[in-house]
Amino acid sequence: MSTLKIENLHVKVGEKEILRGIDLEIKTGEIHAIMGPNGNGKSTLLSAIMGHPKYIVTDGSITLDGQDVLSMGVDERARAGLFLGMQYPQEIPGVTNSDFLKAAMNARREEPISLFKFIRTLDKNIEELDMDENLAHRYLNEGFSGGEKKRNEILQMKLLQPKFALLDEIDSGLDVDALRVVSEAINSMRSDDFGCVMVSHYERLFELVVPTHVHVLVQGQIVMSGGYEVIEKIDHEGYEWVRELGIEIHQEEEKQPILLESCGKKEQLKHDK
Amino acid sequence: MINDILSSKFYLVLKNGECIDSHLPDRVFYQDGLLKFENQELLEVQVVYILETQQEFQIDIRIAKHCQIQMIETKILAKDAVLHKNMYLDENAQVHIFSENQSDNSRSIENVYLAGYALCQYGFAELSDHHFEGVYHYYLDGEGADVKVRMAILSKQDEDKHYEVLIQHNRPHTYGQMDNYGVVKDQGRLIIDGIGTITKGQHGSASHQTNKIMVFDSSCVAGANPYLYIDDFDVKASHAAGVGKMDEEHLYYLQSRGLSKKQAMHLITYGYLKPVVEVIDNEMLKDRFEKALSKVGA
Repeated sequence: MSTLKIENLHVKVGEKEILRGIDLEIKTGEIHAIMGPNGNGKSTLLSAIMGHPKYIVTDGSITLDGQDVLSMGVDERARAGLFLGMQYPQEIPGVTNSDFLKAAMNARREEPISLFKFIRTLDKNIEELDMDENLAHRYLNEGFSGGEKKRNEILQMKLLQPKFALLDEIDSGLDVDALRVVSEAINSMRSDDFGCVMVSHYERLFELVVPTHVHVLVQGQIVMSGGYEVIEKIDHEGYEWVRELGIEIHQEEEKQPILLESCGKKEQLKHDK
Repeated sequence: MINDILSSKFYLVLKNGECIDSHLPDRVFYQDGLLKFENQELLEVQVVYILETQQEFQIDIRIAKHCQIQMIETKILAKDAVLHKNMYLDENAQVHIFSENQSDNSRSIENVYLAGYALCQYGFAELSDHHFEGVYHYYLDGEGADVKVRMAILSKQDEDKHYEVLIQHNRPHTYGQMDNYGVVKDQGRLIIDGIGTITKGQHGSASHQTNKIMVFDSSCVAGANPYLYIDDFDVKASHAAGVGKMDEEHLYYLQSRGLSKKQAMHLITYGYLKPVVEVIDNEMLKDRFEKALSKVGA
C-alpha cells in the first residue's frame, strides 16, 4: 500500500496565496473527490502536487511513501508514480501520440518496451476507450475535440499505471457515452495498488465512479470531509451552506474583455498564463 | 561516403561538374549539365551534387508532361562554392523532392518553374555544419500550378545561415504554401525571408506562409521575415512568423508523463522539424534524418 500525504500545504501563484493549509492523506485503494466553487484552489492543489512551475509552495509538505515529493522535479514525480490528468491538455504539433506514449512508457522502465508489446497494449486500450484507431499517428492532442483530449489523458493513465492519478475535471467536454467509457476506464484501474483524486463539479461523474472520500475545498482550505452524502448535499443545495460554517465563499470569475467569435475559456486561459 | 548516401536504385552523382557515377532508368538522361525526365512511370531518383573546390556549377533539370518523380538530392558543396539549379516542370508533372545539405560555407541558388497544373512538394533538411545561403525561388507560370515548400533548418555554434524563399504567382488559380521552421542554438544566427508574390490578374490564387524559429540560447540571433506582395483582389493570402523559446507548457506536459527535460526537448524539437521528411515516403530517409537531428542535441 502507498500513501500520498499532504500536510499544511500553502501555495501561491505570483503574489496571491491560493492554498492556505491543506491536509490530505490518500492511500492506494481509495478514491477521493474534491469539490468546491470555481477559483478556490482545486486545480491549484493538483498542479502543485504534480509540480507545475507556476505554483510556488510556501509552506507545508507533500510526501509519497515518506519520500519528499517537493524536492523532486516534475518528471521524477511522474516516475515515482504520480499522474495528472489535465483539465486543458497541451497540443504539441509534430509529436505523434505513438512516439510520445512510447517515450512516456519507457521513462518508467529499465528496459525499453518492445515495439510489438507497445502496439498490442496501445491498440487494446484505444479500443477499450472507443478512440480513433488512427490516434497513434496523429499529433499529440492537435485537432482533438475536447472529449478526445480527455480520453487521451485516460489512455495515458492506463498505459502508465500510476500509483496515484490526479484527475482535474476529467468529465468536462465529455458527452454521456464518453463519460461512461471514461468512468469504466477509471473503475477498471481501481485496486489496492491505485489511488485517485478527482476534481469535478458534477455529481454524474461521482455516480459512475463512486468515491470513498469527499472533500469540499473553499478559500484554499478543506472545510468539510465526508462520504457520498456530501456530494448529494452540494448537488441539491450548492455551496451556500458553507457560509453557515462561518466561511465566506469567493467565486473567482474575473471578467475579461472578450471579442465576439473568440472562445471565452481560451481567452481566460491566456490571461491566466 | 557516397555509398552511405545512396539508397535508391536509380541515382546520379555529379562531382565538380562531371558525372562520376550513375544508374538512371529508361528515358531519363543526363548530359552536360542537363538532366531530363521523360519517363511517365513513378520513379525514385537520387541526385548528389559535389563541388570540391571554390567553383560554380549550373544544372538544368527538365521534367516532361505527366512525369511523376520522387527525388532525393544531397548537396556537398565546398567552401565558397555556388550551385545554380534551374528546374522546369512541364504541364501536370508531379515532383516530390527531399533535399539534404552537407555543405561547407557555400551558396545554392535555385529556381523552379511550374507549368499548368504541375505540382511540386519540396522538403529541405538544412542541417549542415557551416554557414550557408540558400535562395530558393518558385515561379507558378501555368494555371493551377501548385507548390508546397517545407524547410527544417538548424543553425548552431557560430553558424550563420540565411534563406530566401520566394513563391511568385504568375498565372490565375495557382497555389503556393511555404512552412519554414528553424532551430537556433549556441551563437548561431538564422534569418529566413519568406516572400509570397501574386502579380496582377492572378485571381483565385492562394499564397500562404509560416516562418517559425525556436531559439535555445540567449546568444542566438534569429529573424523570421514574412513578405506578401499582392496585386490582385480575388486571392487568399496569409502569413505567420514567430521567434521564441520552446513552450514551457509543452515541456511541463511531457515531463509530467515522466520524460526528462532533455527527452522532452528532443521530442518537441524533433516534432517541430520532422514533417519535412513527410514529402517523400522513404523509411531509410526518415532514419537518416532522425540521426542527423541528433545534432540538435536537445
